[in-house]
Amino acid sequence: MAEHLGVYLRLAAASVRATARRPAYLAARTVSAGLIVAIEVAGVLLMLDRFGSIGGWRPAEVVLLFGLAFTAQGLALVFGDTLEADKVSQLVRRGTFDQVLTRPTSPLGWVVASYVDTRFVGRMLAGAATVVWATDRAGVAWTPGRALLAALAVACAAAIIFGVLLVAAGFTFVTVQASEAANVLLYGGQYLASYPMQIYGSALRFVFVWVVPLGLAIYVPALGVLGRQGPPGLPGWLAWLSAPVAAAFLALGGLAWRAGIRHYVGTGS
Amino acid sequence: MRAYLALLAAGFQRQTSYRLALAAGLTTNAFFGVVRTAVFFALYRERDQVAGLDVADALTYVWILEGLFAVVWAPWFWELAEAIRSGEFVVELLRPRDPYLRLLAFDLGRTLSVLALRTVPTLAVATLVLPLRLPGTVGGLALLGVSMVLAAVVSFQLRFLFGSAAFWTPDYRSLFMLVFPVLWLLSGFVVPVDFFPGPLRALVDWSPLIPLLMAPVRVATAGAGVAVATQVAWVAVLWLAGRLVLATASRRLVVHGG
Repeated sequence: MAEHLGVYLRLAAASVRATARRPAYLAARTVSAGLIVAIEVAGVLLMLDRFGSIGGWRPAEVVLLFGLAFTAQGLALVFGDTLEADKVSQLVRRGTFDQVLTRPTSPLGWVVASYVDTRFVGRMLAGAATVVWATDRAGVAWTPGRALLAALAVACAAAIIFGVLLVAAGFTFVTVQASEAANVLLYGGQYLASYPMQIYGSALRFVFVWVVPLGLAIYVPALGVLGRQGPPGLPGWLAWLSAPVAAAFLALGGLAWRAGIRHYVGTGS
Repeated sequence: MRAYLALLAAGFQRQTSYRLALAAGLTTNAFFGVVRTAVFFALYRERDQVAGLDVADALTYVWILEGLFAVVWAPWFWELAEAIRSGEFVVELLRPRDPYLRLLAFDLGRTLSVLALRTVPTLAVATLVLPLRLPGTVGGLALLGVSMVLAAVVSFQLRFLFGSAAFWTPDYRSLFMLVFPVLWLLSGFVVPVDFFPGPLRALVDWSPLIPLLMAPVRVATAGAGVAVATQVAWVAVLWLAGRLVLATASRRLVVHGG
């Protein structure tokens, strides 16, 4: 994949230029992608302020989780939006993917670079702004170590979400028909990881710490940023494990994508 | 009347045939419902009542929300706007009988299928395992059903108005994308509107967003009278608005192409 880096960069630049040709449309889409974050956080704050705390976490501390999760989701979707089931389904049904396979680049590199979606930069920025606001409210004293933990959380969670998208795309190559089921992990996972993990039952917690490790990638580093002790079974040092675990999950996603392509038969005409 | 009923049945059948989408939708609703349930259980651990809601009210809100999600934000949201932009909508104006009623009948057929196959099973399972506050009498349940159907009607009427933007601009999507997050919050899909600050809540209570989700929730948890009356009033107002838009738009409709 690496030997075609120049090609991918040019493809990505072309797709960004293409969307920039309609600046008003692009602006509306970008603002909207960020506005969702602001609205969701505002609503949750209205609710949490009434209750005072959840699972021993103050509202600002919970909002930090929301910020990290949304930033990671934005980052993953800038590159991976086109891997969502309905879009892969369209690539297959229109025969576009047949052409992709004949090109001398990697299919994944081509698909990702050709459909970079800058509107999700809006979600990333809104998420990052949420992190800054929340840590300020929670009285976090930033240190290089804590900044590194926050960056690690975003990078690992984004890698996991991208992995989820790859699995969903691989699945869509086989079913052709788009399925809403991937949204459970994509948006549902983000939603779940936006609350402290101790509020969930042990089964749900196990799945989202060790199987689809979004909880491991967001909640555990956030403990370190906030200077909190984790619940039994989730000590803060696990944060350093999230990088290899996220990498492993991403690799699994890559395998699923390849398996999907092996079963790809096109839809003919 | 018989023609509209046939359209309603056709809409019902069409939506019912998407089996895979149904399974995926039920999974999504179940997952979000479980997470939201865990959130409310944790929130109410040290409190009995907040903003007039107790844990049973909150859980009822959660599962009615999951049940009505695909009714209010119907996956076919943009069909009308796309038909207007492509020019196919002209066919609707040429067909016999009233176009607004025809569109409503077909749409309602589809949402009734969602109500029957997604909303009812979701609520039935939830009420078996969780302390929900659903009406205990047949009459009460029937009223809840009526309220949900009214939610589906208002949903169609609002979607019709948003889709009609395509009569005036091909950029209807950017417009809606900026409005959507606000509608999402104010209709109560992020948190119950009961948690809003007083003035905002008073404002929202008088908006056509209340019939979509909060009215059915109130029918189940509080009193049915005011909630259903509000829904009926909004159906009437949006009916007039829809007719007005359709009359104005069909006079200025220009079909491109050849």
